[in-house]
Amino acid sequence: MMDPSTAVTVPLLALRARRIDRLRDSGGIGKHHPPAIATTRPADTAAALGGALLPGSGGRVVVIDASGPLPLPRDALVRLPDPIEPGRPLVCLDTETTGLGTSAGTLPFLIGLGVWDGDRFSVRQLLLPDHAAEPEFLAAVRDAIPPDAWLVTYNGRSFDWPLMVARFRLHHHPPPAHAGHLDLLPLARQLWRHRLPDARLCSVEAGVCGVVREADLPGALIPERYFAYLRHGRAESLLEVVRHNRQDVASLARLLLALSRCLDPQAWPAEVHPGDLHGLGRAYVRRRRYTEALTCFEAALATALPPSFLPTQEADPWQVPLSQRAAVDRARTLARMGRHDEAARVWAEIASQGDRLAALAWIQVAKRREHHDGDPTSALAAAGRAAELALRGRAAGNPVPWVERDLYRRLPRLRAAAARGVRAAAGRALPGVA
Amino acid sequence: MRIYEPMDTLAALDRFLADPGIAASVTARRVIPARPADLVPIPGWLHPSLHTALRTRGLSGLYRHQAEAMDALRQGEDVAIVTPTASGKSLCYDLPVLQSVLDDPSSRALYLFPTKALSQDQLAGLRELAGSAGMELSAAVYDGDTPAPIRSVIRSAGQVVVTNPDMLHSAILPHHTKWFQLFEQLRYVVVDEAHTYRGVFGSHVADVLRRLARICAHYGARPRMVVCSATVGNPRQLAETLTGRQVRVIDRNGAPQGERHVVVLRPPISDPRTGARSGAGGLAKRAALSFLRAGRQTIVFGRSRVAVELLLTGLREALREGRGPLGRIRGYRGGYLPLERRAIEAGLRSGQVLGVVSTNALELGIDIGRLDAAVLAGYPGSIAATWQQIGRAGRRRDVSVAVLVAGAGAVDQYVAAHPDYLFESSPEEARLDPDNLHVLLAHLRAATFELPFDPGERFGPDPADDLLAFLAEEGHVRQAEDGRWYWASENFPASEISLRAASPENVVIIDTGGARPRVIGEVDLFSAPTLVHQNAIYLHESRQFHVDRLEWAERKAYVHPVDVEHYTQAQLAVTLKPLETFAEAPLAAGARVHGEVMVSTLATIYKKLRLETHENLGWGRIHLPETELHTTAHWLAVDPAALMGWTRAELDAALVGAGRALQTVGSVLLMSDPRDLGMVAQIRSPHAERPVIYLYETVPGGVGLAPRLFERHAELVGGARELVGACPCDSGCPACTGPRDERGGDSKRSAERLLGLLEREPAERSPAQAA
Repeated sequence: MMDPSTAVTVPLLALRARRIDRLRDSGGIGKHHPPAIATTRPADTAAALGGALLPGSGGRVVVIDASGPLPLPRDALVRLPDPIEPGRPLVCLDTETTGLGTSAGTLPFLIGLGVWDGDRFSVRQLLLPDHAAEPEFLAAVRDAIPPDAWLVTYNGRSFDWPLMVARFRLHHHPPPAHAGHLDLLPLARQLWRHRLPDARLCSVEAGVCGVVREADLPGALIPERYFAYLRHGRAESLLEVVRHNRQDVASLARLLLALSRCLDPQAWPAEVHPGDLHGLGRAYVRRRRYTEALTCFEAALATALPPSFLPTQEADPWQVPLSQRAAVDRARTLARMGRHDEAARVWAEIASQGDRLAALAWIQVAKRREHHDGDPTSALAAAGRAAELALRGRAAGNPVPWVERDLYRRLPRLRAAAARGVRAAAGRALPGVA
Repeated sequence: MRIYEPMDTLAALDRFLADPGIAASVTARRVIPARPADLVPIPGWLHPSLHTALRTRGLSGLYRHQAEAMDALRQGEDVAIVTPTASGKSLCYDLPVLQSVLDDPSSRALYLFPTKALSQDQLAGLRELAGSAGMELSAAVYDGDTPAPIRSVIRSAGQVVVTNPDMLHSAILPHHTKWFQLFEQLRYVVVDEAHTYRGVFGSHVADVLRRLARICAHYGARPRMVVCSATVGNPRQLAETLTGRQVRVIDRNGAPQGERHVVVLRPPISDPRTGARSGAGGLAKRAALSFLRAGRQTIVFGRSRVAVELLLTGLREALREGRGPLGRIRGYRGGYLPLERRAIEAGLRSGQVLGVVSTNALELGIDIGRLDAAVLAGYPGSIAATWQQIGRAGRRRDVSVAVLVAGAGAVDQYVAAHPDYLFESSPEEARLDPDNLHVLLAHLRAATFELPFDPGERFGPDPADDLLAFLAEEGHVRQAEDGRWYWASENFPASEISLRAASPENVVIIDTGGARPRVIGEVDLFSAPTLVHQNAIYLHESRQFHVDRLEWAERKAYVHPVDVEHYTQAQLAVTLKPLETFAEAPLAAGARVHGEVMVSTLATIYKKLRLETHENLGWGRIHLPETELHTTAHWLAVDPAALMGWTRAELDAALVGAGRALQTVGSVLLMSDPRDLGMVAQIRSPHAERPVIYLYETVPGGVGLAPRLFERHAELVGGARELVGACPCDSGCPACTGPRDERGGDSKRSAERLLGLLEREPAERSPAQAA
């Protein structure tokens, strides 16, 4: 061991300080930012953003209120795949955060909460001016969500709400209670994605509500705006963030309005795109609400537009026309409801039209003939038609692999069954010869 | 004489050693006497279901170490259990964990194992025990292979979560709010195979455990820590550095052990001109054959995947000629599929598999039962690993045998020539340094991301404010108005940290051999020019990869898997500049110093060397920029006055020769990979204006090897002088002073003289004081 009388040693912390200096000098890690000092003043921030200090927050949370007329026919929401009773308060919620992901280091710093008061829609935005005020900030969020309310969000099931839950957990609080959560993103995908370039909120509000934002702040820039605000305390860098968030909350309200129109059968023939109806039907199917689903598919078929008229965004030449997709879904839904004879008639009809989904329909016809009619020979004929179409599709450069895989097994089995059937029939006809 | 003839293990050993060619190579044969089981009654406080479970396993008592560990844990102590492989360590923590679940079903435990295979193995054992106790236990492995739907179930309901440090670091701690049920009720944290947590990896793991402790404290839990390790020289220090807690060390092994014979062999000199010796493969194969032909279950350890395959092929061929049991000889290594490995493990336990040739993959605690003989083809690199591998042979009652065949390298030769080192000295110390500044800063970022730091809050032994202020300059951390330090960045710091590398800037290694490119690992920037230059053979989990190209600017190396019989070694032009002295002590003829240095390295050429014999097969140039490394070093400066009368050539040879010997002994002393310690000898150091030998750590910032060398100076220099003096060569050889250079000269005598000078303490101090 070292002998302290001869060994000269440097105290550890002094050593660490000198190593940090070397690291700083070598530029290996440090970038010579001025040290971050908390300079944000809630009162100045509130003034700059046209808000106020939230009463009861000890002057530590900034609140910005706005409202305007936006009547929402609440009754239609009962017909949602996950119905919302008319009496429920709705809280539209959208967060601005310091990053993506819902891990412990991501901070929601601006939360917009929109509620209806009669025909008026008011948006309350809560802003966190300093990390240290998060307990008051979260308390304010809790106060803004009545326990019997439904949350309305866009992608909130996988992002905004889990992130809020994480913040409450981090502060040892249970997350705010609420009665339900309507995430509009999956519905928007199902109902409207077919006529939109993507399902981002701005694309959907533009395509469905006709709202185009001007000079909107791209979401990717938002975290840096907040960090800049924390560094120098000037709330001006948050103006665009606050506006962006307010528009997001307003969009939630407008989408809800558009959704309620889709849900109203009175509006269907004239105002609702048949593709939207088809999507709504599929959303009902997911919730096993087959009666409503069938109504949607039939309405979509009744108002189906000619394919040329369909505004398909994907410019996919192989896009199957809506009328066929709706017909297939109708047949499947009928089968799920146990109305097999009707389903069989629809399948036969699709098959006979010889269109893109005819191969699929012929397979269904083959199944019906084999299992229900007990007629492997005619089932084999149907499967043969399917194979013919599948081959033609492949030759045209448009193979349908899962149909081919299905036939790869079905055809030999049916051939064998048909052969057995022929022999059995022969046996019955000539009892002495077997 | 029949070649294949069943006989007992000892008779097979005697017959093998009776061959005069073999007998000449033996440098040691020791008998380690049998030890009976030290059993104590099962403690009465143990839950009746667990009594039942133990009885159904035929256990009437517990080994002493098991009972001691359980008592200590029951009294709320943290423990470090240090006993050999297969001594029943798992029961030490499985029983208390099951007890706590029986007492309170909401209680949780977290198990950490270094590899996925071990996790699965241990989980199976735990479930079996719980099953025989009639318990409904919710226990699961949570790692990269766990399917997403099951993950949320484990998070909310897993009573025992089995994972690895990497997963804890990147997937559990940063998401602690989703794991609050685990952290609120966490009673036990088990850190098994802790001896693998050394060097850079260990330093990272210790910091990950600091983060874990912060999160537990946040949720109001203070779990007991159970650290298990194979035998190391500093178990208390290892466990306490890892956990940051004072632990009770439990090292009285109560498991029984049959008599064990250990033989050390040194292959003969193959080239008298250079003093080079044959590799370990030939003798190892012959030893293994004698046991296999006698029908004894044998494990053969090779040092690389290729060595394993060569040995396996050789054994099978020899057995084919002799109509031996060649179908019952299997290979085992990292690249095998899990199912295949499970089958081999089961075959070993049942006796169906007679022989297995393995990399060190079978060194860790995977259950393969107990075999008759172990043959080590090459020194595994540390005393601890040697005993781990020897421990794979060891019947509880019968005699077992282990044969260590030294390879051609310097460390191997040192061990073969000094077998006492293996038998008498305590095993190496596991070094780690969680306060390595690079490692510490990286985890401080991750820790701030997870939870804000209070002013004055400690991370490790010291308050972290100075470091947090530095991170604030960098812009990722912010001190808020309440004085606490908060994460203020979009980055996800855990994803920027690899637990296997020291500095944040790494070269990613991409395997292009498969259907799609796959990242197989990383090396730090400083090591990249030596390890993954173009045409290098890169070893990963004992597999060889050829480096097709190194994209320096992109920090990417593209490789594909190969099976070749050579490895590559880069030649470096190294310049070294001391930056700061941390500690200094005088010597009679100079001084020894511990301090920080900057090492600039330029890789110039690489050599292709044959695996077994290190024979030179060719070379190529390396075109890469110079890299700089800040690290810690231990250096020895010589007074020019003491060197009066030396010629320049003598001094040159002495410095390099002594340096090589010091490097060898240093890496042996500190249980480190020889590559972790670099050496530079300067005949006239620009800093000290005198001859200096530097031993520096090749990891940025170091992991604590240099300060330890400074402390153990007497052993280091004494060992080196002894190594050179006792070497049977006449004027220096690869085993002592390193490969001879073209100029010839007697590097052996010069090096010995120089080391003799460096060994002497200052004259005014008595030898007793100096010791």
